[in-house]
Amino acid sequence: MNVENDIKQLQTIANQIRLDIMKMVYEAKDGHPGPAFSIADLITTLYFKEMKIDPQNPRWEDRDRFILSKGHACPALYSALARKGYFSMDELFGLRKLGSMLQGHPDMNKTPGIDITSGSLGNGLSMAVGMAIAAKYRKKSYYTYVAMGDGEIQEGLVWEAAMCASKYKLNNLIAFVDHNGWQSGGSVHDVSGLLPVLPKWQAFNWDCQVIDGHDFEQIIQAIAQAKKSTDKPSMIILKTIKGKGLSFMENDNSWHKRVPTAEQMEQAITILGGE
Amino acid sequence: MVEYKGTREAFTQAITELAAENEQVVFVSADSLKAMRATSFAEKYPDRYIEVGIAEQNSVGVSAGLASAGLMPFVGTYAGFITMRACEQVRTFVAYPHLNVKLVGINGGIFSGEREGVTHQFFEDLAIMRAMPDVTILVPADAHQMYHAVKAAALIDGPVYIRAGSGREHIVYEADTPFEVGKIRVLKKYGNDVALFANGFILNRAVEAARILNESNIKVTLVDVPTLKPLDESGIQAILADCKAAVTVEDHNVIGGLGDAISMTSTKYCPVFMERVGLQDVFPSSGGPEEVLDRYGISIQDIVNAVKNVYKMKRGI
Repeated sequence: MNVENDIKQLQTIANQIRLDIMKMVYEAKDGHPGPAFSIADLITTLYFKEMKIDPQNPRWEDRDRFILSKGHACPALYSALARKGYFSMDELFGLRKLGSMLQGHPDMNKTPGIDITSGSLGNGLSMAVGMAIAAKYRKKSYYTYVAMGDGEIQEGLVWEAAMCASKYKLNNLIAFVDHNGWQSGGSVHDVSGLLPVLPKWQAFNWDCQVIDGHDFEQIIQAIAQAKKSTDKPSMIILKTIKGKGLSFMENDNSWHKRVPTAEQMEQAITILGGE
Repeated sequence: MVEYKGTREAFTQAITELAAENEQVVFVSADSLKAMRATSFAEKYPDRYIEVGIAEQNSVGVSAGLASAGLMPFVGTYAGFITMRACEQVRTFVAYPHLNVKLVGINGGIFSGEREGVTHQFFEDLAIMRAMPDVTILVPADAHQMYHAVKAAALIDGPVYIRAGSGREHIVYEADTPFEVGKIRVLKKYGNDVALFANGFILNRAVEAARILNESNIKVTLVDVPTLKPLDESGIQAILADCKAAVTVEDHNVIGGLGDAISMTSTKYCPVFMERVGLQDVFPSSGGPEEVLDRYGISIQDIVNAVKNVYKMKRGI
């Protein structure tokens, strides 16, 4: 399969995942579609192109790991896992319901394929550092990937972990910031004075790249570049659009947490090419 | 005869032996290597000593990641920095996912925090840990019991919190007395006038109080409660039913610790008159280890008085 076809296929899967997200949130009457859409292309690339995983053996000890630190975007991850075959697609519509394997935020013991419990913001990188140190100590070749929101890197623990990752020269750790510019309460800069993001990671001695987080070719190339690192952890800052993929949702922060109407569901089906 | 300077040295001895048997055992430090007296471990196993710096939340988060990848991390630092500063990391990323992380908190109690003052005296750790589902809580009474508690913790598949001291601990137990997780231990049965429950590094005071009371003809059953969770409810119930009056002694705030645990069991199975000896819900201050206990309500006399009081209540006087 050539690169062009590969990317076409990833685009198709990403559209399916976005439509799944809409259906899940619609059915659950609760959830975070905007943040899930923002990270959907990265999750698609990781699960359908990059990661060494075995859906039949979710706890395979040599597998690559992924932590969705911005756990509220989990409908995107759940859809990817179901489509990879970790569990039935029917499970998707149990999201946030009593007794479902799909919790409001990722749970490693309830959902096959979730590598670690996550979702209270600012914690994922720290656990990713632990996984990456364990790989070095146990002489395993797996990679640890972690996706953070640009809002959540306001948490102090992120920077404790960032320092630790560079101290331990974790070139087997590839982190992403989904830099869509929004958080629950407004723009990330207005709320917290966050900007600029890139020099902060550079100052913590990470290998850094800034790419278009909705361009599959750029994501693939950036990960390949990150894997060349010999002695530093890698940060890939994804310039993204919150709600990317549905014009009525893009950059409208009211979709941080919102349930679509029946009419919006129909529009989503039309735009994203589902049935 | 094995001799340790204190619980921290006993910890290091135990984890060093565990590491020799099990390559999954690693030690995670938040610039607490010296405080934990674990330098010899780091020298012997440099690739199993993970130093995150003064960053306790990260020490627990990293440990969760290590455990998820099949290792058995022991995080050791000040009790309050684990249970308060890194409380959420312990609760959500260790306890909730049931990861095999062992948490060892030093300076447990005002006796251990002593001259450092309130910032380093930790008397809420056990209450905080008790409130989290699925964590085993061990409160050894001396260095010998600490050694066995660390060894016992390694046999438990899941999160364990072990309270340690700062080198002031009096020896109460023989070196080879095992630490039996989930069991109370009757240390001395003078009689059944009052049940005297204690744990931690003030157990020696309870021993002495029981002896003094015996001389004034009040016969207590002295019980160590080294596992605060899961609590030995049936063992405690039997003691309460026998004595029908109880005093608890703990180096902890009287809210949330041993007193609460015994009280819960008592109200459920066997209501009796009770009194709690411990820090009486106030902030203490700096001072010598024995002095602060005496000043803040945990003197031998306080224990004696509490036992006399409940004994009077029991007899309806």
